[in-house]
Amino acid sequence: MFASVTSVALVGVEPRPVRVEVHIGGGTPAFHLVGLPDAAVREAKERVRAAIQCTGRSFPGRRVIVNLAPADLPKGGSAYDLPIALGVLAAAGEIPRDVEGVVALGELALDGAVRPVRGGLGAASVAADLGRRCLLPPASAAEAASMELGSIHAVGSLEEAIGVAVGGHDGAALPALAVAATPLLDLSRVRGQPVARRALEIAAAGGHHLFMDGPPGAGKTLLARCFPGILPPLDPAERFEVAIAWAAAGLPRAVPDQPPFRAPHHSATTAALIGGGSGVPVPGEATLAHRGVLFLDELGEFPPHLLDALRQPMEEGEVVVARKGASVTFPTRFQLIAASNPCPCGYAGDRLVSCRCTPRLIDRYRRRLSGPLLDRFDLRVRVSRLDAGDMTGPPGEPSARVRERVAAARLRQAERGRLNRELGREALDALAWGPGAVEMLEQSVRSSALSARGWDRVRRVAATIADLAGSEVVTEAHAAEALAYRGAE
Amino acid sequence: MSDARLRLAFGGLHPERIRCLLDLHGPSGAVAAIERGAVKTTSRIRGEVAVPAAARRKQLQAAGIEVVLRGGPGYPAHLAELPDAPDLLFVRGTLPAEPGVAIVGTRRCTSYGRRLARRYGKAVAVAGWPLVSGLARGIDGAAHRGTVEGGGIGVAVLGCGVDVAYPPEHNDLGEDLIRLGGAVVAESPPGTPPEGWRFPPRNRIIAGLSRAVVVVEAAVTGGALITARAALEQGIAVFAVPGDVERRSSEGCNLLIRDGAHPVLGPTDLVEALSLVLGPPPGRVMAAPAPSNVKGDDAELLRLVDDGVGSLDRLVELLGWDPAAVLAGVGRLEASGALQREAATVVRAR
Repeated sequence: MFASVTSVALVGVEPRPVRVEVHIGGGTPAFHLVGLPDAAVREAKERVRAAIQCTGRSFPGRRVIVNLAPADLPKGGSAYDLPIALGVLAAAGEIPRDVEGVVALGELALDGAVRPVRGGLGAASVAADLGRRCLLPPASAAEAASMELGSIHAVGSLEEAIGVAVGGHDGAALPALAVAATPLLDLSRVRGQPVARRALEIAAAGGHHLFMDGPPGAGKTLLARCFPGILPPLDPAERFEVAIAWAAAGLPRAVPDQPPFRAPHHSATTAALIGGGSGVPVPGEATLAHRGVLFLDELGEFPPHLLDALRQPMEEGEVVVARKGASVTFPTRFQLIAASNPCPCGYAGDRLVSCRCTPRLIDRYRRRLSGPLLDRFDLRVRVSRLDAGDMTGPPGEPSARVRERVAAARLRQAERGRLNRELGREALDALAWGPGAVEMLEQSVRSSALSARGWDRVRRVAATIADLAGSEVVTEAHAAEALAYRGAE
Repeated sequence: MSDARLRLAFGGLHPERIRCLLDLHGPSGAVAAIERGAVKTTSRIRGEVAVPAAARRKQLQAAGIEVVLRGGPGYPAHLAELPDAPDLLFVRGTLPAEPGVAIVGTRRCTSYGRRLARRYGKAVAVAGWPLVSGLARGIDGAAHRGTVEGGGIGVAVLGCGVDVAYPPEHNDLGEDLIRLGGAVVAESPPGTPPEGWRFPPRNRIIAGLSRAVVVVEAAVTGGALITARAALEQGIAVFAVPGDVERRSSEGCNLLIRDGAHPVLGPTDLVEALSLVLGPPPGRVMAAPAPSNVKGDDAELLRLVDDGVGSLDRLVELLGWDPAAVLAGVGRLEASGALQREAATVVRAR
């Protein structure tokens, strides 16, 4: 009179196995659900009862207790319908107890069809860890299958799920991923802008956070949108991390090995940006951009509390979100690209157009940007307005060629064990510095062109420039070029 | 006599009103008229005027502010010739005896105007003439900065009190001018806040302290053209820097040129044209900067920056080098202190 089926709960983005235990005993006919279920889970009772009856089987007319263990882990969503139904049927003796050997996840329709849920990938990875078969709704199964994790079976209905669970049926065919891949913008579309192009290449090679400012219409957004195209593809481990994070948010990935690119609007809430929400926290944009790019357009329009909220994730590569339901950790190793106008009207410091903003307005605008957040950008460039000649000029170098150089530079960093963005003071000291390079940097500190704070930043960038040049030694020229990307301090 | 004039000045009335009162009643009469209420003023102004001159003198001395009276020692002779010259001036620093060159322009300038104002300010300083301007944001401030760079004498004429930091970001600039032997002057008493109506009348002082007025960038409306108009009325030479005919912030200058102002085509041209008005420069004509320690490619880069190319993208385009090479050159020159950044443009360091 007892059966259990394994399922999965997500803690942050991390999947944890959950045992769905079903006991059927004597007493007044009833259906109880225990083990910290939320409202959506509690509604499973009605769906499960209807789905079982619609498949021509009978729901036991006795006292049914379902426990979701471990009981202290909060569980949400409708994904436990399928394991509960399988467990109830097995405990009632309707189907063999073989169902205990599977991991199942899926929402049931009243007629017994299985609907897609979020977290399919997590279930697949738990199943792979346990060495069990995994039963998933077709759409979720397709997503999980793209990660090549163990044996995954797509089940379109409860009947099919029973067939797979007790053996003798392989499940439905895996559907194609129904996500249209957004074509990447190619850097060849960017004409002119030699300095910004070079800065993008360095940013891609070293994973540096990049800040671009310039008047409206200069092409900052286009440049940023071209950026994912020059990043090397994700390696299998990274691909899995990203897929898990996206699956936790219920989003499928069209091209799994392409680094993600997220561009939240400045009206986003803190929860949308770094994760949160009521009940069990869900990942935010910072986590969706994990191992990829977080692009903040019009940085000056983002309210200060949002920018402050980004500091911990940027620094630590993860963010802890505490809610009543649970305190969870989301991975946030993104690369930040930010674009901003130099002032509210956009023309401060322009060669030909005079700025219409009052000095106080410009001051307030800049103050909002300056300080701790701006300090974290290794690269800062001014994107200037195009002259007419640039717009009709020859197309720029295509992304593929830039990507090759970036990949070569990344390979050199892999030998050092980490991206140049993450190099600390000791690691920087340990690099091979050519004659004159350190002297030049010291000189610029003396002539106060370089602040002490900018010191490590410039050295990190110089290391990347050397990597791009294929040089073991960071030369004076590399250091000099790195100095030029500080913008105005 | 001078006591009454000092007390009257501390009333902070509009310059025109002070002039009328002095014409009608004379200094002592004007003060008496205010005190007995025959002249309509506020109680605050009556209170200010009532403070005895001795107390005021002590207050000024403590603040390091001097007073020069029209017709008295230290009052610039050329300013005294104006029919509406201020009755007295509050001075911090040393007011030069000789008339100078005014460089003025809009507060809302482009980087083009800012750069030129700075360069012309420096050329005038190196030539040895005092430079007069208003210490305002934009062109005025850039011209004063040029003076400081050239190590010249500068006079800043304020619309507020000489001890009031306005605009606040130019406080240091004013101190630099004083340190270099120049002065910060105003006709409003110390402590006067920057009120909009005080600025147009101060422009006549800027013109009055100068023998030539250079308008760098100005729209058709605004203080710079008031100064130019005052200069024309006073028979002072007016120069204007030409700008794009379609750009609003240059419309005023271009109009001045159409109406006969001398167009300024460069620092050397400016100094030459000014010598016709002011006589040969007491200093030297600014030589083209050519530091000896910069060699080869970097020198070529530096030349372009001297020609006013400030954007990195333009430098790459004009030099035709690899962007990395141009940026390395800029970085090297910045490290050596030859170049610096201003907002996002590259400029020659002072």
